[in-house]
Amino acid sequence: MTSTNLSAASVRCPLTQLCYVRLAIQTPQPAAAFATDVLGLQHVPNNLQPFLYRSDQRYYTLCLATSAERSSIGIEISDEPELDRIAEALIRDGFRAREATKDQCAQRFVRRALIVEDATGNEIDLVLRPALSGRRYFPSRDAGVTGLQGVGLRSRAIKDDLKFWTAILGAKVTDRVGEITYLGIDQMHHRVVLHPSDKAGLVYVSFGVESLDALMQNNYFAEERQIKVLHGPGREPASGQMFVRFAGPEGYVFSYGYGLGCVEPNHRPRQFTLEASSLCEWGSQCTDIVELQPALAR
Amino acid sequence: MIELKDLSYVRFGTSDLKDAESFATKCLGLQVGDQADKAIYLRSDDRAHTLCYFEGNPTEQTVGFEVEDETKLNAAAATLDQLGHTVHAGTPTECGLRKVKAFIGFKDPTGNQIELVVGPERSGKRYFASRDAGITGFSHVGLSTTDPVRDERFWTQVCNARVSDRIGDVALMRVNAIHHTIALAPGPGPGVHHVNHQVESNDDVLRSFYYLSDQRVPIVFGPGRHPTSGARFLYFRGPDGMVFEYSVGVDEIEDEETHRPRSFGFEPSSLCMWGSKRNW
Repeated sequence: MTSTNLSAASVRCPLTQLCYVRLAIQTPQPAAAFATDVLGLQHVPNNLQPFLYRSDQRYYTLCLATSAERSSIGIEISDEPELDRIAEALIRDGFRAREATKDQCAQRFVRRALIVEDATGNEIDLVLRPALSGRRYFPSRDAGVTGLQGVGLRSRAIKDDLKFWTAILGAKVTDRVGEITYLGIDQMHHRVVLHPSDKAGLVYVSFGVESLDALMQNNYFAEERQIKVLHGPGREPASGQMFVRFAGPEGYVFSYGYGLGCVEPNHRPRQFTLEASSLCEWGSQCTDIVELQPALAR
Repeated sequence: MIELKDLSYVRFGTSDLKDAESFATKCLGLQVGDQADKAIYLRSDDRAHTLCYFEGNPTEQTVGFEVEDETKLNAAAATLDQLGHTVHAGTPTECGLRKVKAFIGFKDPTGNQIELVVGPERSGKRYFASRDAGITGFSHVGLSTTDPVRDERFWTQVCNARVSDRIGDVALMRVNAIHHTIALAPGPGPGVHHVNHQVESNDDVLRSFYYLSDQRVPIVFGPGRHPTSGARFLYFRGPDGMVFEYSVGVDEIEDEETHRPRSFGFEPSSLCMWGSKRNW
């Protein structure tokens, strides 16, 4: 690597993309039905367990893992030297990190993976060369899904988790609502949101949809099937994203989003007050998710 | 042919003027332009008023359309008279109550009370809403019809309305570039079916959905989107059961010469492409 490349790499975020979400699932059948019939994702036609689902050109973005003890997310790292640097830094700062076995890599459809834990205990796979599919994405229903877009993560150690995400992994804080912290890794407003909590885990998994029409159609689709809408339809003032968050199988929460904004290179993190209108400017109130109820977070 | 230029106002009788005012300002978000002894004039744009509530029977519902000038008004009166409609020429007092220079009143074939007006007053003061609903103006009315085909003929052949689209036999008609100013709605008798105000953005439609729900205003349809005009909408109920609509993003018909009305089936998805269900 030449010195020019090095300086370029030092300003660029080494996190390339949010690749996948692996959900630890107890009973696969209902979750599998939900993934196709409700979310509208495409089942990857193979006989493998766990079940894999596509939402875009990637080989998969959602995995229902019956064997997994806990859920995890996959983040692509730009290259091998970066992954090695991150591995060293994590060990040095006392974070857990282990190299994935060949089998584990094969299950994840990546060439190499470092399975790490943030300070809260959320499992995160840092991966190299996640697989794409040559076939175009063909959804199982007309939900207008454009791809896996982001995740909300619970954090019970926000300071240390921020160190993990920003100082070591290179993500940027884009905005905050109270201590709820939006993290960007590319030009989009956020891919990961840390929500102060007393436990680890996913708050929600968000899939982008192509239009406001698709978002609202999905809202009524959920309503008609008596799928509980937990938050929205609403709009995040920080990111501009319009969303509908609804209950999935085994307590997981899914979200459709449209209109996620980009951030300017010189964007400075803004601080929003911790109140419901900072999470939804339209006035929707969240039910059932403690991390999205500012009145309880105070 | 009677040339309608624009929609001017609606006038509603009400048994409870205070209640109507409270709804119009606290929920709908209009501005009180003028208050008379037994009437209240509400603004939604730079006009002196676009909605008037007066003490009276709630079945007294009138829609006013603007015509070019008094010559055109007289010609319209003659046309209507010839067709057998009873035409009433507004007295100076009645003109004062409507804030217009002149008007005539008549009934359309269904029996809806229609007024054609000349010189509706504008206000020098800009419109300042009583709540942040984002209203940009009074835009269209839904008119009940007991015979959609007959009434379409009246509005398009006696008047200058053009059909933009149809849902089943029911026509959405324009008098200018805006997709529709008159929406016919089948019903058992005459009456205003709904009153539309445009708002600034889609955000305003959704904000009002939550705001009005909090105020316990019955939401009767939406938030949704009409596949005909493309407008995002919200319908809710006001005093005396009248339905009001907010909408944004109504298409404009730019190819006046070549536009052909589309025919949508008479089914729920023709009214809302998002899947909201109408319950009124």
